[in-house]
Amino acid sequence: MFLQQLINGLTIGAVYALIAVGYTMVYGIVELINFAHGEIYMMATFVAMTLFRLAGYPLWIAAPAAIVAAMIMGVTLEYIAYRPLRRSPRLVALISAIGASLFLQNLAMKIWGARRQPFLDAERPLAFFQVKHQLVVPVLGEATFSNMQITILGTAAAMMIFLTLIVGKTKLGRAMRACAQDQVAAKLMGVNVDRTISATFAIGSAMAAVAGILVGMKYNQVWPMMGYMAGLKAFTAAVLGGIGNMPGAFVGGLVLGLAEGFAGAYISSLWMDAIAFALLIIVLIYRPSGILGQQIPRRT
Amino acid sequence: MSRLFKAAFVAALVLVAFGGCGKKAEKTYLVGVTGPFTGDGAQYGEMLRMAAEMRADEINAAGGINGIPLELEFQDDKGDPKEAANAAQKLGSNPNVLAVLGHFNSSCSLAGKEVYNSMGVLQLSPGSTNVTVCEGGDWTFRNVYRDDFQGQFIADFIKYVLGYGRVAVFFDNDDYGRGLRDSFAERAEEIGLEIVREEAYVRDTQEYTPQLTQIIAKKPDIIFISGLYANGAMILTQARNLGVETPFIGGDGLLSADLVTNAGKASEGVIVTCPFLPTVGEEKTRNFVTSFKQRYGTEPDAWAALTYDALGIVAEAVEKAGPDRKAIRDYVAAMDSPEKGYDGVAGLTYFNADGDCLKPLIVAVVKDGEFVPFEKQAEDLERAKEALRVSAPAEPSPPEGS
Repeated sequence: MFLQQLINGLTIGAVYALIAVGYTMVYGIVELINFAHGEIYMMATFVAMTLFRLAGYPLWIAAPAAIVAAMIMGVTLEYIAYRPLRRSPRLVALISAIGASLFLQNLAMKIWGARRQPFLDAERPLAFFQVKHQLVVPVLGEATFSNMQITILGTAAAMMIFLTLIVGKTKLGRAMRACAQDQVAAKLMGVNVDRTISATFAIGSAMAAVAGILVGMKYNQVWPMMGYMAGLKAFTAAVLGGIGNMPGAFVGGLVLGLAEGFAGAYISSLWMDAIAFALLIIVLIYRPSGILGQQIPRRT
Repeated sequence: MSRLFKAAFVAALVLVAFGGCGKKAEKTYLVGVTGPFTGDGAQYGEMLRMAAEMRADEINAAGGINGIPLELEFQDDKGDPKEAANAAQKLGSNPNVLAVLGHFNSSCSLAGKEVYNSMGVLQLSPGSTNVTVCEGGDWTFRNVYRDDFQGQFIADFIKYVLGYGRVAVFFDNDDYGRGLRDSFAERAEEIGLEIVREEAYVRDTQEYTPQLTQIIAKKPDIIFISGLYANGAMILTQARNLGVETPFIGGDGLLSADLVTNAGKASEGVIVTCPFLPTVGEEKTRNFVTSFKQRYGTEPDAWAALTYDALGIVAEAVEKAGPDRKAIRDYVAAMDSPEKGYDGVAGLTYFNADGDCLKPLIVAVVKDGEFVPFEKQAEDLERAKEALRVSAPAEPSPPEGS
């Protein structure tokens, strides 16, 4: 039982982590909580569903296409809703983010309808992902898990490594770190700040799209409000780990997923959300900058 | 974007927004319709809107009510009690609104109840089944049965018709899911139906494997889902993925073609109690289903049928009693026996003193991807109980000869 819940919790946590990265990267650079991020996740899942189930393309076309669509949406969102407000008080951009989020929810309802739809095509079951494995570990107990869960955990890990490499080893990554430290100084040093911010939104949106496709495949349900709770949880994960800190977003996501999984199994599923958010409050009281966050001196 | 272009854009928006207000329409009878037109319950709101619009168009095509066209005013409650109170306020404070159809969610009807009662406008809900929705309000009515009736019925049906003794319950922790579960559990205890395990969930839950694992460990004969189809579909899929073979039964929350679409084969054999089935009924029902399909390309669900009837009841009241809020309310309140009831597409509707509706329910089962009548119906339960001489469930009881 314990092992089973551990695996379930990690799987949920990996999804939160993928979405949380987008929040944390954007916050790191423009200090904006991009509340429309959950909606990018939702839109990407819908695009993937449309291409895969409705249009009948194979998954290896539908998934990359949805990721690209999410990147375009993320960049467009920044261009329309945030860039004109970059010099306004932060609250203005925040309200613009909430507006964008509501707009995207209603847009999705207009395009795809409000009902919950299946993601997978009943005619073309992805049998590989349904294959189950049995795992027995002494003391911890036994667990059943599917290839789908392995895929989610594996993809999340791969994306995390990929992202760490981008931020740590590439020119773009250096530009991103420079912008996070001081945009004006970065600009003076010849960094194209606008392009760097666009790239950040594109990468964050791509991660959200990956999470959305995985969730669509696992739970086989897509609906316009799916981004709301997922976004809120991922935001919690980002803050939990230390907002602006990338490994923190991953740790935060996993911690949140595990807390929810165990709460659901051992206490009651009614307490899942309460426990997730209580955890956030406790961490913020004792470690205001999050689990992995550092205390950064205030910018002037 | 140039400044001129922006200004023109804003001006265009303003024109679009206020353009309609300029001309005064000729005299119409205005009826408010409120429900979750956006938000998480928007799929239900869609059905309400489609059915109401179709009925209004039919009434107007036939010359309106006493020659005056019927007009609908839609107010979105987003399925949120706070918004519902606002919507109720807006509709109630508009003196031209003669009556209100809605809300759908029980929690919304409860939030709006006070407003409708204090403002003196009839509220007729086609979907709120929580027990307390009409209690203690002179102006609140519904043309759907109450959860306690349904919950008791399901408990009796499991015990006396299906012949099972051990049941597990999965319930949605909101006014609907909990209310239905409460009345089910109460009746189960009375008749000695053992509830071996209960698990609750919230609307946004996606992972049910932990709870299902706990439930199967108790080896129930049947699992009762007291919730809505979206969660139901995921529960069914995940249960079948775990290899659970136990049969499932659910209340009307599970009744939706989307249960079958989303759960696929996993929904096969699920038993559902409901107030309306497109495939059951007389000519009137068949005509309604056909024209609804023709107009919208989709089959009407129970809520569409009940909304269609609800607007029919209001229209009849306006026609017979005149365009006066009090007179309309009194007319509807006087529909208190089968003879004075309204014979609609979803069966005969009449109200008790509270404004609750006494209506039989239908037992459906998913077979080859369609909801069809189950082999055993309410009459079989009556017969089984007759044979065992079991006491009837508490009020309200189904009408005789249903």
